[in-house]
Amino acid sequence: MISVENLSKSFDGVDVLNNISEKIEPGEKVVIIGPSGSGKSTFLRCLNMLEVPTSGKIFFDDCEITSPETDIDKVRMRLGMVFQHFNLFANLSIEDNLTLAPVKLKLMTKDEAHEEALRLLERVGLPDKADAYPAQLSGGQKQRVAIARALMMKPEMMLFDEPTSALDPEMVGEVLEIMKELAEDGMTMVVVTHEMGFAREVATRVLFMDEGNIIEQGTPEEVFDHPQEERTKSFLSKVL
Amino acid sequence: MDSFKLGLYQTFVLDDNYQYFIKGLGVTLIVTIFACLLGLILGVVLAIIRSAYDQRQPGRKVSVILRILNAFAKVYITVIRGTPTMVQLLIMWFVVWASARSTDANLIRCAILSFGINSGAYVAEIIRSGIMSIDKGQMEAGRSLGLSYGTTMKNIIIPQAFKNVLPALGNELITLLKETSIVTVIGLKDLTKGAMIIQGKTFQAFVPYFAIAIIYLVMVMLLSWLLGKMERRLRESDKR
Repeated sequence: MISVENLSKSFDGVDVLNNISEKIEPGEKVVIIGPSGSGKSTFLRCLNMLEVPTSGKIFFDDCEITSPETDIDKVRMRLGMVFQHFNLFANLSIEDNLTLAPVKLKLMTKDEAHEEALRLLERVGLPDKADAYPAQLSGGQKQRVAIARALMMKPEMMLFDEPTSALDPEMVGEVLEIMKELAEDGMTMVVVTHEMGFAREVATRVLFMDEGNIIEQGTPEEVFDHPQEERTKSFLSKVL
Repeated sequence: MDSFKLGLYQTFVLDDNYQYFIKGLGVTLIVTIFACLLGLILGVVLAIIRSAYDQRQPGRKVSVILRILNAFAKVYITVIRGTPTMVQLLIMWFVVWASARSTDANLIRCAILSFGINSGAYVAEIIRSGIMSIDKGQMEAGRSLGLSYGTTMKNIIIPQAFKNVLPALGNELITLLKETSIVTVIGLKDLTKGAMIIQGKTFQAFVPYFAIAIIYLVMVMLLSWLLGKMERRLRESDKR
């Protein structure tokens, strides 16, 4: 579904990603773990070109999204993204947050979008918040709305950039619960997270990244229970 | 006391002198309103050009057009902010519009254009500061859904930026209203010119000048009240 070839990214001469190649197949739930500054968020953000790679190629199906000729907006419509800081549109009501993109991009009429928004808000457990504004919601509620907003576009794949890192501890569960349901429904997911429990339970594959490289990868059992690399072991000993 | 009464009589009643205030106020308002609109339009366009350039992605090529537009915007803002408004007005009327017949209509058009261009430079920097104050996650969220830069700007960033800079814009509008009094130098009969004419006719200074001072003050107070109302309405999405 996504294939990454020799991806490198540097900020002002500092290398953040070193020559990464990786393939993600449909239906996979890939969880990326690693210490902060390891490049995992940058890697994720490259997948929908929020960060422009310094070199290397990324293909989404057969489309080279790193090519300047590609209409990146068309690709992003098929790739949902959920951010650490929710990034709900502060000037719009919850319903408008959900309906803006599908209506503007002419995927749905206003009425269709309205119905779909209510359906998705129901699904994330916030049917009564359609008319509220983001500032009135708790962190957990915001993130559930953000997931619903991404789902409005009926994406083929979803990217999660530390979706629970900015949440109070008691709100982490409600967000992870929705992500698990998504996973069970067969959504292809790439998740950057520090929630090792979630990774173990949901991931079909775990990538451990450090200093811009994928150090080790495998099933959750392989990575968590039998890590091969020294750096993986030392990281896991600190977080588990 | 009698001299004050005489002043009142000569300023307002004699020869229907009050007409100078009413007609002058009309001119002042027309110039202010249209210059404000022109300034807003110019300001928003320039601000978008400047911030589009400033927020360009490192590693991505900036289009030649954007470079040229940005350079133009910078020169424009520098020149307009760096020269006195009165000088700009004099140049506009006596140099640029040198061949125009000095009818009231022409003078008003010239004043609107001159003040609009002047105001645009200040409004541009105000709006730009508003755009820069919006968390970049808002733009990223819009783009991640497949919305274009322009659509996200129009529906998400500008409305929030506008709300944040409304007090500063109000300031600019108040300044503009009062600064239009310098149109007297090109001979346009605005409110201030009206008072000057009456002084010339009647040798009264106290009443006509205090009268226009009060009229300006009342207009500014009305404007502040309107801006306050508008601000409260725009703050609706901030309620918790």
